[in-house]
This record gives sequence, C-alpha cells and structure tokens, in this order.
Amino acid sequence: MKFTVQLVAIVIMSWLLELFLPWWSIAIAGFLGGVAFKSKSNFLAGFIAIALLWFLHAFIIDLQAAAPLSEKIAALLMVKNKVLLFLVTAVIGGLVGGFATLTGSLLKKSKKR
Amino acid sequence: MNVKFLISLTVTLLLVWALNKSWTVGGMPIPPLGKFLSPAHGFWQNIESKKFNLPKSSDIPGLQQPVTIVFDSLMIPHIFAQRDEDLYLAQGYVTAFHRLWQMEFQTHAAAGRLSEILGRGNDDAILNYDRGQRRLGMVYAAENALHGMEKNPIANMVTNQYAAGVNAYIKSLSYKDLPLEYKLLDYSPEEWTTLKSGLLLRSMAQTLNMGDKDMQMTNALKLFGKEILDVLYPDLEPMGDPIVDKTGNWNFEPVHLNDSIHALPDELIKISGLTTPDPNIGSNNWAVSGSKTKSGYPILCNDPHLNITLPSIWYAVQLNAPGINTMGVSLPGAPGIIIGFNDSIAWGVTNAQRDLVDWYSLAFENSRKEKYLLDGEWKDTHKRIEKITVRNSEVFYDTVVYTHWGPVPYDEHYRAENNRKHYAFRWIAHDESEELLTFYKLNRAKNHGDYMKALNHFASPAQNFVFASVTGDIAMRIQGKFPARKKYEGKFVLDGSLSTQGPQGYIPFEHNVMDKNPERGFVSSANQYPADATYPYYITAVSYEAYRNRRINDILRQSDNITPEDMMNLQLDTYNIRTAEILPLLLTYIDSASLTPAEQEVRNLFTGWDYFYSPDTKTAPYFEAWWRNLYASIWDEMNHDSLSLFYPTSWNTINLIKTQPDFPFFDIQRTPEKETLTDLIRQAFKAGIETVETWKNKTGKEPRWADYKDTYVEHLTRMPAFSYHVQHGGDGSAVNASSRKHGPSWRMIVSVEPDGPKAFATYPGGQSGNPGSAHYNSMLDRWANGTYFRLVFLKQPDQATDRILFTTTLKPK
Repeated sequence: MKFTVQLVAIVIMSWLLELFLPWWSIAIAGFLGGVAFKSKSNFLAGFIAIALLWFLHAFIIDLQAAAPLSEKIAALLMVKNKVLLFLVTAVIGGLVGGFATLTGSLLKKSKKR
Repeated sequence: MNVKFLISLTVTLLLVWALNKSWTVGGMPIPPLGKFLSPAHGFWQNIESKKFNLPKSSDIPGLQQPVTIVFDSLMIPHIFAQRDEDLYLAQGYVTAFHRLWQMEFQTHAAAGRLSEILGRGNDDAILNYDRGQRRLGMVYAAENALHGMEKNPIANMVTNQYAAGVNAYIKSLSYKDLPLEYKLLDYSPEEWTTLKSGLLLRSMAQTLNMGDKDMQMTNALKLFGKEILDVLYPDLEPMGDPIVDKTGNWNFEPVHLNDSIHALPDELIKISGLTTPDPNIGSNNWAVSGSKTKSGYPILCNDPHLNITLPSIWYAVQLNAPGINTMGVSLPGAPGIIIGFNDSIAWGVTNAQRDLVDWYSLAFENSRKEKYLLDGEWKDTHKRIEKITVRNSEVFYDTVVYTHWGPVPYDEHYRAENNRKHYAFRWIAHDESEELLTFYKLNRAKNHGDYMKALNHFASPAQNFVFASVTGDIAMRIQGKFPARKKYEGKFVLDGSLSTQGPQGYIPFEHNVMDKNPERGFVSSANQYPADATYPYYITAVSYEAYRNRRINDILRQSDNITPEDMMNLQLDTYNIRTAEILPLLLTYIDSASLTPAEQEVRNLFTGWDYFYSPDTKTAPYFEAWWRNLYASIWDEMNHDSLSLFYPTSWNTINLIKTQPDFPFFDIQRTPEKETLTDLIRQAFKAGIETVETWKNKTGKEPRWADYKDTYVEHLTRMPAFSYHVQHGGDGSAVNASSRKHGPSWRMIVSVEPDGPKAFATYPGGQSGNPGSAHYNSMLDRWANGTYFRLVFLKQPDQATDRILFTTTLKPK
C-alpha cells in the first residue's frame, strides 16, 4: 500500500512539476517522493512511476500524431521501431526517477539517526 | 550523512547531467537523451496533432492594430492587416512559426557560421566551408545589402518589421516549443536581425549568380591555346531562340568603351577542385497573350529549378493590407513575395546567365600584404578578421585581405596550392543594392509601367522577369546590374595592377534585353542566351541552357486556345531535345553485327524510343549511362590533379561530334593507342550497359527511369530519416527539369483574369518545416505525380470557402 501511495504521489508531482520546470524536475519529484513516502522498494517505486508517466504521455501524444515522427526518430536513434522508442523513453525517465527516489529515501534514514 | 545517501545522490546527479548533455559516440552525435526523450519537453512535443496551430489569438508586441491570419487546407497563411507595418511584422511572425529553424540555419550557412552548430566536421570540412563563405565576402556582401536597404525608408521599415515579427515569435518559445532540429543538435535560436535578411538575399545570389569559370578558362588558354579554346568554349552557341529575338532592332546607342584591348593572361592557376554551378540549377518561365488562350486573358507560368530540399525553399503566403493584395511564394527570411500575382498582374523569374564575377591578379609589396600595386603606386589593403566560433573546439580566427577590387579568398592559409599567386574576387552582389523595393513594388503593381518601375531597383541576382497583366500585356525583362564589357573581358583573370581593367561602366537599365507584347504572342525564358549577336554589348557566362527553351517555344508556337491544363502539361513535359539530337547519330556509329544478344536488345530499345523521360521508361537509363560515359571519356583531358578545368557544354560536345569527328580531344590521353570517335562511342555504349547492369545487381530492380534517376528530396541536415525518395520523371534538359537533387521547386500557372486571378501551383514539400507535422511534406506526393492545387486567393478574411482550416488573430500587446 505504501508503495502504491508513493508511486502515485511521484506520478502526480512529476506531472505537475513538468508543467513549469525542465525535464529534470522528475528527479525533484522522485526525491520528494522518497523523502515523504518511504516504502520497501524506493528505487522501484520511483522507476515505475516515471517510466509509467513517460510511457503513457509519449503513447498518448503518438496516438494523436498527424505525422509519423516517432518512427523517424526511432530510425535516427537506431532503435528498431517506435514501440522500442516508447520503452527507451520509459527506461531513461525511470532510471532518473528510481535513483532520485532512492536518494530521497536515504536522506530520511540518515535524519532519523 | 550516510555513505549510501551520498552515493545515491551522486549517481542521480551524474545521471541527470549525462542525460542533459549531447555526446558524440563513435563520430555520431547523440542528442541529450533525457531532455530529448522527455515527453513533456523533448521531441515528443514536436509531434503535431491534426488540430495543431497557433492559438486563436495572441498578443504580439510591436503591432499597431489587430491582424487576422486565415490558414487554408494547404496550411498557407492569408494575412490581413490594416497597415504595411503590421503586415510585414505578421509575415515575419507566421513564417517563423513554420520555418524558424530553416531561416536561421540558412543564414548561418550563408554567413559561414555552421561550425558554431555542427563543430569542425570530418577533416575540418565544416570549418573550411565556413572559412570559404567568409573569404568570398558573404558577410561583407550582406552588410552592403543591409546598407542599401537602410538608406531607403520603405525597405528599412519592411525588414525591421519582419525582424520584429520573427523575434516576437522567438520570444514566445520555451524549450518544449523549439523546432525539432534545435533539440536534436542541442542549441537555441538567437535574435533575428535585419542583417540576416541581407544574408538570405545574398545567399540566393550566391546560388544563382556567383558562378564563374575565369580561372578554368585562364588555364585552358595556357594549356590548349586560343584557337582550341574558342572551339571548346564559344561565347555564343548558335542553337537559336534567344530569350528576346529581335535581330538588329536595338534602338539605343551603347555605352562607349575605350578601344584598348586587355592583354590575355598567360598563366596556370594551381587551385584544384574549383566548382562551377550545377547546370541543373535553372528555371522556366513564360507568358502567353490572350490571343493564344481560350479565355482570352494572358496565362503566366513559372517553375524555378533549385536544389530541392526540406524544409522547402519556398513558403507560400497571401499578403493583404490597404493598397496590397498579393499571393505567391516568399523566401523564409525575406519579407514580401518573390514569385506570384495580385489582382492586376502576375510575375515570375528565371535566372539570367551572365558573368558577374571577376578575378584580379595582385602584386603585394611583401608577405605582410599591407600594400598592393595599382597603377604604379602601392595602395593599402584592408584586413578583416573573421572570428569563427567552433562547437566543442576553440575559436578559429581567419584574416581576409581586402583590396578595392574585393577580398582575396585563396592564399597560403587557405587552398594554398596556388604557388603564392593572389587574386582578388570581385562579385556584383558585393555592392549595395535595394532588391526588396522591387518586390515591395511588384507586389503592389497594377500594370506594365509599375512593373518596369519596380525592376529599376533590382541589381542582383540578375533575373529574367516575366510579366502578364489583366489589361492584356505580356512582357519579359532581363534585369540586373551588368558590367559593360569589352570582348573577352571577364572570361579570363584580369590584371589587378591596372585600374583600367575594372569595369568602365554598367549597362544602363534601359539597354537591358527586354520585350513587350511580341508578335509571336508569347514571351519565354529558360536560362538561354538573352539575345543574339547583334545585341551591342559583349555577353559571356559559365554556360547557357540549350534545350528546354527550344521545346517550350516549339510547343507555344504550335498552340492556340491554350488552357491552364495545357500549361500544366508543358511544365510536366519530359521530352528531351538533347537526346533527340544526339541519339540517332550515335546509333549510326554502332556496328550491329558485333553486338552480343544483350547489347542488341539495348540497341533495339533505342530504335523505337520517343525521347520522353517518363518515370517508367527503361530506355532513358541506358541512354544516360551511355551518354555520361561518352561525355566523360571525351573530356578526360579536363581532369587534372593540380588545376581546375571546365567541361565543355553538352551542346558543344554534340556539335563537335557532328561537325568535327576528327577533333583531337576524342583520343583518350592516358592510353597509348589513338582512339577515334567511333572507338569512344562504342566503348561508351558497352560501358553504359555495364553501368546499368551494375546498378541492377546492386538494387535488385529493373532500370525504370524514376528508380534509376532516384529523385531525392533531402533535409538540410542531410539526415535520411527526414528525407524522401520520390518517383518522378524528367531530366535537366527537359522542360520538367527534375534531376536527382534539383528540379522545379515551385510550379505556378496563373490565368490573369479581371474577375480575379485563377492560380494553380504545387511544390515538393509542405508549408511546415516540422518533420512532425502533416504539412511537412503534404504536397510532395502530388508534386511528384504532377497534380496542381487551385490556390485560394481571398478578398477578405471572412470570405466563405470550404478550404479554410483555421483563423487566428494577432493583437497588439
């Protein structure tokens, strides 16, 4: 349960922060999610939160696309197809989210001592 | 603080840092992956939905009154303003909305600033390109263009307002809104300046009017002698049909030039790899008078052949304000409309072939190059320090020496092959001028008189301006600033120590070649000779077109009751006169008895051919391969390691084959045997078949012309992901002058009628520069299959038509 709350909180914070701040605001969201909602798997929570957010956001944009740009970018980055590009996008966001959340959770631990 | 926290924090920060910066892995640039792939900021934001457009209304600083912009189904903006100042501001704004990256990239390329974006390049290729641009004085030329514009209140207002519009758009952008290419190459747009409009105009002049072969001719003179030179490179190829055909009917007294003849140079210029303009850059335009059309009103047609790239070189737009209602294509970066029509007239351009470049040999006092000899005295040079910012590398400084003739591009620091000889570069477009006024006035012109007045402001790049009006006039005028030359002046390098070797004057504009309502009922131009030998000024150029022009005139002479559809067919015509003139003759050299069955088959293909370069013909690839092999083996003498020479034109080559079969150049130099023309033609025939066979094996395709020619529309970054292969017929020598990378960049047909112009047009690309937009290439397929769009030309913004997508209002802030 804690895990789900943490995950959802990170998704919501990231989505809000991304409206005003650059892409790396996901790290802030993850960090805060780690500080405020410690779970048993902080890295995983941050990873899944951002990966999910980025995957869905990219997927929705692509759904309404009037031109096949995602396929062209996939070709340009030498990723086989656009589905893989969704996954690469998700993993890159996820990694940042995961490490940021982990960092946040560790800060809390050190304070308690 | 615990260690785990610090480690985790460090990993997170490093990760963010690494994903926020671009990398080069194995020579391949990688965009900043976090930034680039972020759906809320990165390239995903460049994926447009079908409904994407400007907001319903925006507040724009600098506007005086609201401007309405209506976008039609082709995404062409129709701008309705209440004053000129607002009109050009809105044009800058909406052009930047669709084409910002292209505008900036092209002007960076013109200014020699690509290293700033792309780095030095492999083997310093990009840095050397930038240095070349600076050394040719491109920035100097743009500064002079700007001075010319600033002196005139109208041109000054137009460029400043346009710049204000571009900048208003740039200021409205955050990272997520930036055009895709900025994100890919990881940089940001800078402020737009009026100098950039100058750079764009001079960049066009560079494409069209900077070609010369003076050094190549000087070398040929030394190597082959004057007699051979005149045979290889005649000033006038007697192929008939000049642009304006009025033998001996020049009713003016030409500018008097003194009688002294310049001594011809006697030197070899050791600079290799000098290029001359691609002969596929050219254009067609014509106008037929009402006496030859079905409607009884004139029809005007124009298709400029340029390097076909994406984002498209042209941007279509309608401009409306009190006193102006015009539509056509603009160059992104320059205000106004370059080719188009209004309620009263239509106009178009082709390139005027003329030598507008001169090279002057210099004698410097010493290696410091502070003084050079002129008329027996040492004159001061001027040194211009060019600072070239290089991405991921240190700043590069280049010193360019300027004389009163112009800059010295080649020296011991750049293309040093030349044994320490120096030549100053003189180019007409280095001079001040005010071309924008021409377009300002043409856009508002009501009749032939207005057209003539507008052209009086036009110096460079020299163009053949075609004209038609609702009142029934048609006209052609070859307009530009042309030096009045003595015979051979400008064909070779000149002696820069004598001021008398400079131009003694310019051809007065009223002496330029022009025509109005000729008896034949049409005017036309296709980059051929402007006039026949009776024109009282000496004319020379890199080369003149020899084929398209005759086909156009043949068809127009035969035609009556002409409709716009007939004109579309003519623009799309793929009949190749060059092939028709040489193929039957070449076939007589082939000894059928000695052919293999496969060769016999190819020979049979040729016999029944109609010389149309349609997409499906299999004959054209075999003939082109044969001809190109033959042409290259005839002119093997022109390949030189240490100096540059010039291949004679195909027209002259064919003429020599016909008239001088024993011409010494038909022997291949590197072989001990003495080849005859027959040997060459037969060898080339076999080699050509081999070329096609190799192509077949490589591609696994049958040699259809469209596949073999492989028209390729390339993105300016040359990234294949944003480029397209297109199925299209035609050839550089056919009216539909589509070659691999060049071709009709805008096809326009306007029936000039009193109840409003009927305009049909198409271009190989689309209005948006964004590869993530449906309008990036929305016209490309239909351009390829020869479809035209009826253009929407509005009288007022709320005019009812089913072709309107969207309306937006720009409001004063």
